[in-house]
Amino acid sequence: MNKNIVLLRTLLLSTSGWNIYRHTTDKKKRRRIAGNAVGKLCLYAMLMAFCVAICVGYGKFGMITAAPVMCALTVSLLAFVFTLFKTNGYLFNFKEYDMLMSLPFEARTVAGCKFLYMVVKSLPWYLSISVAMLVGYGVYARPPVGVYPLWLVLSLFLPVIPMLLAAFLGFVIARISAGFKKTNIVQTVLTLVFVIGCFSLRFVIEDMFRNDRIQATLELASRVTGGAARVYLPAGWFSDAITRLDIPAMLLLTGVSAALFIAVFAIVGRSYRQINSALKAHAASRSYKMTAQKRHSAEAAIAFKEFRRFTGSTAYMVNGGIGMILAALVGLITLVIGPDRIIKTVTQGAPVDAVMLWPAIPFIVYFFIGMVATTACSPSLEGKNYWIVQSLPIEKATLYRGKMLFNLALTVPFMAFSTLCLCVAARVPVAETTLYLLQGLALCAFSTAWGCVCGIRHMRLDWENEIEVIKQGAAVAIYMLPNMFVVMGLTVLAVVLGLRMDRRLLALLFTLVATLLAALSYRRVLILSKRR
Amino acid sequence: MTEKPMLEISHYSKTYGGGKKAVDDVSLAVMPGDIYGFIGHNGAGKSTTIRAVVGVLDFTEGDIFIDGHSVKDEPMACKRITAYIPDNPDLYENLTGIQYLNFVADVFGIGAAEREERIRRFAGLFEITKDLGDLISAYSHGMKQKLAIISALIHEPRLLVLDEPFVGLDPKAAFTLKTVMHELCQGGTAIFFSTHVLDVAEKLCDKVAIIKHGRIIASGTMAALTEGHSLEQTFLEADGDE
Repeated sequence: MNKNIVLLRTLLLSTSGWNIYRHTTDKKKRRRIAGNAVGKLCLYAMLMAFCVAICVGYGKFGMITAAPVMCALTVSLLAFVFTLFKTNGYLFNFKEYDMLMSLPFEARTVAGCKFLYMVVKSLPWYLSISVAMLVGYGVYARPPVGVYPLWLVLSLFLPVIPMLLAAFLGFVIARISAGFKKTNIVQTVLTLVFVIGCFSLRFVIEDMFRNDRIQATLELASRVTGGAARVYLPAGWFSDAITRLDIPAMLLLTGVSAALFIAVFAIVGRSYRQINSALKAHAASRSYKMTAQKRHSAEAAIAFKEFRRFTGSTAYMVNGGIGMILAALVGLITLVIGPDRIIKTVTQGAPVDAVMLWPAIPFIVYFFIGMVATTACSPSLEGKNYWIVQSLPIEKATLYRGKMLFNLALTVPFMAFSTLCLCVAARVPVAETTLYLLQGLALCAFSTAWGCVCGIRHMRLDWENEIEVIKQGAAVAIYMLPNMFVVMGLTVLAVVLGLRMDRRLLALLFTLVATLLAALSYRRVLILSKRR
Repeated sequence: MTEKPMLEISHYSKTYGGGKKAVDDVSLAVMPGDIYGFIGHNGAGKSTTIRAVVGVLDFTEGDIFIDGHSVKDEPMACKRITAYIPDNPDLYENLTGIQYLNFVADVFGIGAAEREERIRRFAGLFEITKDLGDLISAYSHGMKQKLAIISALIHEPRLLVLDEPFVGLDPKAAFTLKTVMHELCQGGTAIFFSTHVLDVAEKLCDKVAIIKHGRIIASGTMAALTEGHSLEQTFLEADGDE
């Protein structure tokens, strides 16, 4: 059998829940795998329902021809962003690097198979989007029968080009970082700079399209996607292949995917060993001089350990820190260019002013700050080192308090900074500013404690790669998704209620509710820490 | 005609970021049939050298040759005849033992009958036959080490490189490994291994190199190096002289 296939098959088998389910004798593990599978199926179903609903919208307004482009862009964007976050850990700096590289595999084979593994593992998500949109497209556009298999086959290629671009970018970042002593920090900074750049670029592009002041959202979305397809050619090729059964477009999509794959991994393969050597090197400086040592509480010691864990992992820092950086940036940008321009861009010229948005300020900041709580993944991140804390003479509650302390130390300063920037920019009076700071503090406390509840309840220690718990863990998904949607709803609710009642009283009410929820979550942490 | 070394390390140096030299101008040769011990303190540069030999670690200064092939220029030719057992094997925890052995056998292109015979033999010797159907995550450290050893032996390597191979092995498995190592070297396989256990090195090795702060401070045949003293005494004297 071809060595590429052997490696890819083994990589998939080694992380397959089914393989574990078949061979483990641990009933608890089996139940967890079954539960995860059901949970994933539910998420796929939700995603599909959402995509079908979008297509129904397009169909009703007679714009169903935009569905293929929309599908291609959605899949491509998601594939690009998620791959960029996963490159370090999956493609570089992974645990079994020594074992694989000592076997007769060429560097480009290892890197290429690791990439294909990422593609195959993420395909169910992208196919959920694509198949659902195909259903919507089928109902409203009534295309020829041949379009259905064509759509499905081309869907397999859709994520490849954006994933290759993200992987190559990850490679460039890793290559640059490899030349520095503090490889992790440089890699994290470069990744964050790039991600923030992408976010900014998105707003610039949207702003360009929105200057036309088109009111109908669907029409606007259709124009935006049409414009984007002209910029991002593979989306256009997909659309042409589907709507016009254009054979050159089909060949371009499949051929460019294959050619780019070969080209990227020929380049990556050349420096693969050098990059991994640098990323895995931890040379001892042997220059430490004994100084006076200080005593700290157990919680502070655990929080410091968590801080070192955070700064020692690019994946952890990027995922856990992105919300803080975005919050700070939003605050700074608002302060510099003023809230009115931002409101105009975001609300597309709707009659909303800064004063109306005052009550929503804590939720706007919390949307970023509370995006990912480190407490949701930090219990799982103990992994095989869990024995260290287990063998220490401390209560589990102390361990979790330490983890929560770190999350608070990380989130509160950014929350305070961003809230203050927004309040100053929007000319919020001092009393309201104080109340919004208090509300932000209560929200940080809630996010920390609720994240910890999710982290303990869905703790998973037997991971192979930390990305599995940082990005893809059940604890993070269960914390993050509802949290984001609820906050979006609360932002609107705060604006609406702010028009009908006293804003100070409203802030006080929100603070009380958030504090109560934080207290209940903390109580739950204490209960769970006695059980697990 | 002079015999060609199976492993030749020539002026190999490794510098980490920040200019720290972990290994400095190391040269040595391991002939077919040699059991070559590589000893030194923690952090002396043993694993850094071993990881470069097996093609895992990148290096810029010097070269390493396996059966005449450069590790830098012809890594595949080197890896095909080499087996590596790390000190703390990171195996695929969610595969079963037999799935992992089949993976390695597939990579080396071992036929079904040969692999079955070798797996039977070595799994029997190391007494893990009945555990091969279990997930590796359920294995103890010693069992993982045994599985890594079997996977290294499955393709009958001509150069066996081991990093602290006796750590975590029970006494019987350690004895079995020593017996297998002797058998392999009688068949012409060269063995290069690092260890802290000087007694084991003394009984097992024909040749030894002592590394300190990245530099070889003594090397040669066991008899010439120890001159009738124990290896422990020789090591401590060499260490003290530096």
